[in-house]
Amino acid sequence: MMTFISQIINGFNQSSILLVATMGLVIIFGYMNVTNMAHGSMIMLGGVSAYIISEVFHLPFAVSIAGAFLITGLFGMLIEKLLIKRLYSKPTETILATYAVSLIITEIVRLKYPLSQNVHMPIPGAASAGGVTIPYYNIFVVLFSLAILVFTLFFFRKTIFGKKLGAVTQNRTMTECLGIKTSAVDTLTFGYGSGLAGIAGCVLAPTTGVSYDMGASYLTDAFMTNVVGGVQSFFGTLISSGIIGEGRTVTAGFLNDTWAKILLFVIVIILIRFRPEGLFTKERR
Amino acid sequence: MEKTRKISRKFPVTRCTDIAILIFLAVFPFFAREFRVEMMGSYICYAIFALSLDLLWGYTGLLSLGHAVLFGMGGYMIGLSYQIQNGVPAFMQREGITELPWFYAPLKDPIVAAIIGIVLPAAFAFLIGKFVFSSKIKGVFFTIITLALAQIFKDFIINLQKYTNGFNGLQSIQRFALHKNPPLTKVQYYYVILAVGTAVFLFCMWLTNSRIGKVCTSVRENESRLGFLGYNTSAYKILIFTVSGALAGLAGVMYAPCTSTITTEDIGVAASTMAVIRVAVGGRGNLTGAVVGTLLVSWAQSLLSEYFSGYWQLIIGVLLLAVIYFIPDGIMGRIIKLTRRGADDAKSGKELKNRKVTGNVYSLQRR
Repeated sequence: MMTFISQIINGFNQSSILLVATMGLVIIFGYMNVTNMAHGSMIMLGGVSAYIISEVFHLPFAVSIAGAFLITGLFGMLIEKLLIKRLYSKPTETILATYAVSLIITEIVRLKYPLSQNVHMPIPGAASAGGVTIPYYNIFVVLFSLAILVFTLFFFRKTIFGKKLGAVTQNRTMTECLGIKTSAVDTLTFGYGSGLAGIAGCVLAPTTGVSYDMGASYLTDAFMTNVVGGVQSFFGTLISSGIIGEGRTVTAGFLNDTWAKILLFVIVIILIRFRPEGLFTKERR
Repeated sequence: MEKTRKISRKFPVTRCTDIAILIFLAVFPFFAREFRVEMMGSYICYAIFALSLDLLWGYTGLLSLGHAVLFGMGGYMIGLSYQIQNGVPAFMQREGITELPWFYAPLKDPIVAAIIGIVLPAAFAFLIGKFVFSSKIKGVFFTIITLALAQIFKDFIINLQKYTNGFNGLQSIQRFALHKNPPLTKVQYYYVILAVGTAVFLFCMWLTNSRIGKVCTSVRENESRLGFLGYNTSAYKILIFTVSGALAGLAGVMYAPCTSTITTEDIGVAASTMAVIRVAVGGRGNLTGAVVGTLLVSWAQSLLSEYFSGYWQLIIGVLLLAVIYFIPDGIMGRIIKLTRRGADDAKSGKELKNRKVTGNVYSLQRR
């Protein structure tokens, strides 16, 4: 029973990192219709910049979060400007190009840091209640990712930029006619999505360590979460990252991680069969 | 002049390339070392694999990033068959299994194992296709599902250490030694692969020129319009995925005995993406492109990993970006476009010239 409870609590940690990673994908995949295969390496890049900022320069963890967001965000904007911009009308070419980018990033990082690097725990200590111990850092991660969700919702619903983005996704040509620079909106949106991936990597760094393949498995998880939740829905993402993160951690406590993955994959396939648009997508015209 | 044009219409540039490649591959063992022959044999297996992906991606427009799963199923079936020829293999004994599990009994005969290696991936592709295509799922979702599949399948094989030798993969697979016969020599087996490859190519040519192939191409171009015309597009997609799965399995069945190993490196996302890169470089939607791309990319990959073992994957990434931005149709697609445009230019240019000449003559006469 104790293991079950502690698995559920570990699951919250998993789910919240998945939530941040998938939010980046919801923005890039749902709003911009770009299948970003480089998302996994963006997560890895966030981890690497967290390592450089907090271990090489010995700056506080808050700086590494901001730094990871800025570095991966700027990098995402650069990729969008240079590569993806010319491929918006060709979905399969976008998949291949972003895959090539992820190969290149991963290989460069592998040549520089072939082994896993550790990032020290920024918030040490743990709370224990009735035999179940919860590290303070996990509590921080859960609260922090919920804060990011709230901020992103605010950013996309209430600010002028969010309104512009909504307009672009609804009708690109008309928005262009109204004098809004749609290409700038695209670049910023892509940058924001990439920056969220960077934050996910940065938050992940103290618990799992930084290695060149840390993002690879999160890529498929984030895509699956996105598909289950509905590609444009932040609320769906919240629920589905909860389902997938909890489902995996709890199942992994009883069977093992691979069987948990397989089970979830089967569930996702069946779900896609009956709800191809995801669980929480509003009826689109 | 008329005659040459007729011949060039009958033998377009793709068919000429096919025949040239076939002749090259047929005489290759006469002037190459045995080790290179074995390498070329594995490239032909990759070419079969690329053809199966080309049917799915190039013709039907469904990009699979998990195609190596089907390839690996074929390879593992034949590999396991030779592992269990002499009773319980060593890796199972190490895990404390003394009796062969019941589900390995049919694999005892290599021919049955080869047939299972083709039927199982086809059935698996059918099942996945049935689930994915019978709802209104757009192309990208299929890609994501297959991506997840590749990742999970690799974990699955590694996790089943007891039955599959996990991360180490299967070694010393023989080149079709049937019923105590000695295995084929490398060159003999090379020709077996070449014969199978040619048969697969002819089959793909027939399939893509048949009505099924035409419908699949229309699915790629405009699926909803095809639906309005009363075609059951999902049935065609399931069919082509099943056929593609069977061919990928066949490629795996031929591949494992050629290099005598099959490991988890051959089944994951990276292996699937290599197949996609091969088809993209060669040019999708014409069968020759898959073959040309496979031979070129595999050859380049071997040379790069021999000389720059540290960072050849980086070079592959840059190469892929270069192909996407500079020759988006792939090498064969580019050549076809150039020759077609050349032929059109020559045709229209000649007519223009004739008109000019007659015009001049006419004006001279008038004058």
